[in-house]
Order: sequence, then structure tokens, then C-alpha cells
Amino acid sequence: MKLRGLAFAALMALGAAGAAGSAQAQTMSYAQAAGLLAQHCGEDIMKLCRGQNLGNGAIYNCLSQNVGRLSPACAANHEGIRQMTEARAAAQREVHKVCDRDRAQYCPGMVPGDGNIVSCLLEASKVVSQACTSALINAGYNQQ
Amino acid sequence: MKFQMRSALLLSAALLAPVLLAAPASAQVATSNAQIVQGLQASVADVPNVSAEALRGLAVAHMKYTGPPESRPPLAIQLDQLAQINVEIEFDLNSAMIKPSSYRTLGSVADAMHNPILLGYKFLVVGNTDTTGTREINLKLSQERADAVMQALATTFRVDPRRLQAVGLGEENLQDVKNPHAAINRRVQIFNLGSTGVLTP
Repeated sequence: MKLRGLAFAALMALGAAGAAGSAQAQTMSYAQAAGLLAQHCGEDIMKLCRGQNLGNGAIYNCLSQNVGRLSPACAANHEGIRQMTEARAAAQREVHKVCDRDRAQYCPGMVPGDGNIVSCLLEASKVVSQACTSALINAGYNQQ
Repeated sequence: MKFQMRSALLLSAALLAPVLLAAPASAQVATSNAQIVQGLQASVADVPNVSAEALRGLAVAHMKYTGPPESRPPLAIQLDQLAQINVEIEFDLNSAMIKPSSYRTLGSVADAMHNPILLGYKFLVVGNTDTTGTREINLKLSQERADAVMQALATTFRVDPRRLQAVGLGEENLQDVKNPHAAINRRVQIFNLGSTGVLTP
């Protein structure tokens, strides 16, 4: 299906480590990924995973264990959707590593851990490195 | 200042949002996220010291008022001063299972908690029921539901668990006391509990 191809294309682009530095995020928001899961797998979940929850990977595990019984749309997309959620999470984890040099240069002495650094990097968006800019975009931090 | 967002807004935004992967930054999503972020922005300098545990104690104590809902005194909690939103999360009947129709809403809450403006804050998830069923079961069910929301935020959506607390108040904190079965009473609220302080990664 279309979704799968696009999801993989986005992941491939992520893997290319921000080479192009495009302004378009290579990840999607948690809301979008979760919305797609409901759209493609909502009925499967109510049928096959009743009583289970999104947390702790329970729904993902349930869908994986029932792979032969899934609707075509869910079977084609649930793995890709999971990967998009993970891609956003990975991007959010990576920001501080990728942007560390920019932080030292543009946000010296800033106390870490409470969003100060991300806000400072965003304010310095005109001067921060391409790699850091891409990391901020893929983490979804630029959408205020 | 208190900003309450009715979830209808959120849900309609969710339904309208295009599902094209190629355009992740759609206007509708940004708008609903912006509303959540705005609603949850800390609005008071001195956030009253509120904890899930203390609220649980108050809810249990409140069960001694055995009269009809209208006759019970309001739960004496200081939540009104906190930045907060109501979100409509649908659960399966008599269950803590979040229905897939509410996944997107939950994702929007997670996106808001990851917004740089809110990254430095911790949040309280509060579950409430209407008055259908017994008060004991309602208290237990609402706790399980609040926990389910917190678990999804903390695991699937990677909100640092140190930023989250959850409490179920059962039917002890009705929003519409005159209509104890009203849908508005079955709500999940999210409150900003103030700064996290420095969290080591």
C-alpha cells in the first residue's frame, strides 16, 4: 500500500542523516501516527485485542501475534506506523547529541533538562548547524 | 487564568486532518496541538502542591457523604487554579481499554507534552466517571483508566514518566452535579503541576 511505501521512504531519508537538510520533517507527529493506527487497525484492535491498551507495546504485540487474521489495510500498515512512532521518539532522543556543539556555542551556561536548551536552539535557528536544524525539525520541536 | 478546551474541537480537528504522510505538518494538527499547549501552559507562579496520592485520599474520604450527588459537598481540591484541559478519551464499557477512536487525541496530548514550551513541566492525569454503577467500582475504574492514559504517554509516546502522575476520582468530583449521568462527567483532565526541576537524562 501507499502508506507503507511512504513510511519507508521517510525512514530511508532519516537514515541519510540529514544530508540535504530539508525544511520538511522526515517524521510525523505522535497524533498523526496514532490516528493512522486507529484508521487502519481500529476495527482489528476492537476485534482481536479487546481489553488491551496502547501502552507498553500491548497493541503492537497483539497485532503482531495475530498477523494472519488482520485486515489487509492493517496488515499492510501497522508495522510502518509503529516505525514512524519510533522514528519520532528516536529523533527526540537524538536532539541533544546532534545539537551539542550548537548548544555549547549558542546557549552557553543554559541549565539543561527543562526545555530551555531546545527553546534556545530554536531561537538561534538562523545560526545553528544544518544537522541540528534537521534534528529539531524531525523531533517536531519547531512547531510551536 | 483557566483555559478549558472542549474536546469536540480536538476530535473534529482530528477527523478533518489529512492522513497523507507526505505532509506531516498539516494546519489542523498544528491548531489542535497549539490549543492543547496553550491550555496546559502554566498560568500561576505558585502552583499549589497537588499530588495524585493526596487527591486519592480526598476522593476516598469524600465517599462518606452518602446522599444524592447534589447534596455532597464539593471535593475540596485546589485544581481550579492549575492550567488544565479536558480531553475526551473514549474507553470500552466498564473497561480501562482506550478505544482506537481516541488514539489520535492521546497522540496530540503527547505531542503537546513534547512541545518545547511544556518540556519543563510535569502533569497530572485525572480520570472521572459519572454516577452509573457503584462508587467503589467507579473509583477503581477511573484509576485504571487514568493509569492507562499515563502508561500510553510514558511508553508508546515517550513522555518521561517522572513528569507524569495519575489519579482516578471516580464520581467524587462531578463537573455537572445537577445531571450526574451527563457525558461531561466522564472526562479525563490533564493539569500542569509546575516545573519538573532538572531531570537528569
